[in-house]
Amino acid sequence: MTIDVKKQKIIVMPCSGIGKVHGLIAREATYAVTDELAPDSFEPMCLALLVSGDEEALAKIKKMDCITVDGCPKLCAAKNVEMAGGKIVRSIRVVDAFKNYRGAEPGTATKLADDGWTIVSEIAGGICNKREGEVS
Amino acid sequence: MADGEIKVGIISCSGEEIPEGTISRLATRRVLELMRPDNTVTICLPLFLAGNEAEREFATKHPTITVDGCSKLCAKKGTEKHSGPVSAAIVVSEILNGEGACCARSAKCQTETDKEAVWLVSEEIAKAVDSIISENCCCSVENADTGECACSKPLPGMVIEVDGRPVTIAGLSLIFDHLAENGLAADDLCGDKLLETVKIYHQIEPEEENVYKTALISAYKKYRRQ
Repeated sequence: MTIDVKKQKIIVMPCSGIGKVHGLIAREATYAVTDELAPDSFEPMCLALLVSGDEEALAKIKKMDCITVDGCPKLCAAKNVEMAGGKIVRSIRVVDAFKNYRGAEPGTATKLADDGWTIVSEIAGGICNKREGEVS
Repeated sequence: MADGEIKVGIISCSGEEIPEGTISRLATRRVLELMRPDNTVTICLPLFLAGNEAEREFATKHPTITVDGCSKLCAKKGTEKHSGPVSAAIVVSEILNGEGACCARSAKCQTETDKEAVWLVSEEIAKAVDSIISENCCCSVENADTGECACSKPLPGMVIEVDGRPVTIAGLSLIFDHLAENGLAADDLCGDKLLETVKIYHQIEPEEENVYKTALISAYKKYRRQ
């Protein structure tokens, strides 16, 4: 995997939905990218901080590209980034990743099982392999 | 749970940038799943803040505890902005005296220190839940015609020392009483039964079973001597 570190970092914004495993997968996929696979190219941002109207977060989201990772079709991360004036270059839905894993047992909203970590890896790999300009 | 009984809402910030956000999320889940499952509900903070009226009603329907990772208090401020004052506000960085910053953000990297941090915070949340329920019971009593409170009080916790650290186990004295009534002797062989029973109500990781067993035997012996 080759990442051009000279480019400006991209924000990865997961929903972290607390009620379902999908939210945890979104969160862990974000950390897989920002902490392990490509920390020089991506960074996370607190969604709650943005939504609560923090000036620094609002200014940052307007300057940087953003990839949102939403657990469910309510798309809280994507909607909130849009409302804050951010530029979403890719909107990922965890539920879509599940289509390739019918019958999978991903774990719970608290703890991921092996299938859950596999889905995390797939989403994280997808984020790293596609950079700005791509909106799904 | 009977109709009319209180469900306390817990809203966690889940801040993605800091380890304390992960701790707030996990501690909230622990209370919801294991510690006070019958008395608590939750909602995703982003959904609550950006949602419609139905979602915003959450905090007006339930006495609400916010759990924030840091002093920016996103959960507390957001909830109060849309639904009025919260019943309690927990701040993870304050509970952990800033030591949470050394914890992991991802579950992949969790250590014993991280788990202890989650336990500590979840204990504080559970205490706040109990306090709210207790207060609401008292309010009912004050407003009622009769002088006695009919609702049950939260189970009192008993603190035992597990591998050198204090752990509160809700209802442990009741568990001890029940086992004593059923003839469980307070000797070195009672550990398996104690552990088996306590595990029904209190999460114990497999790798910690031995230290819990030792702590429970010691606590049970002491309890029976009283």
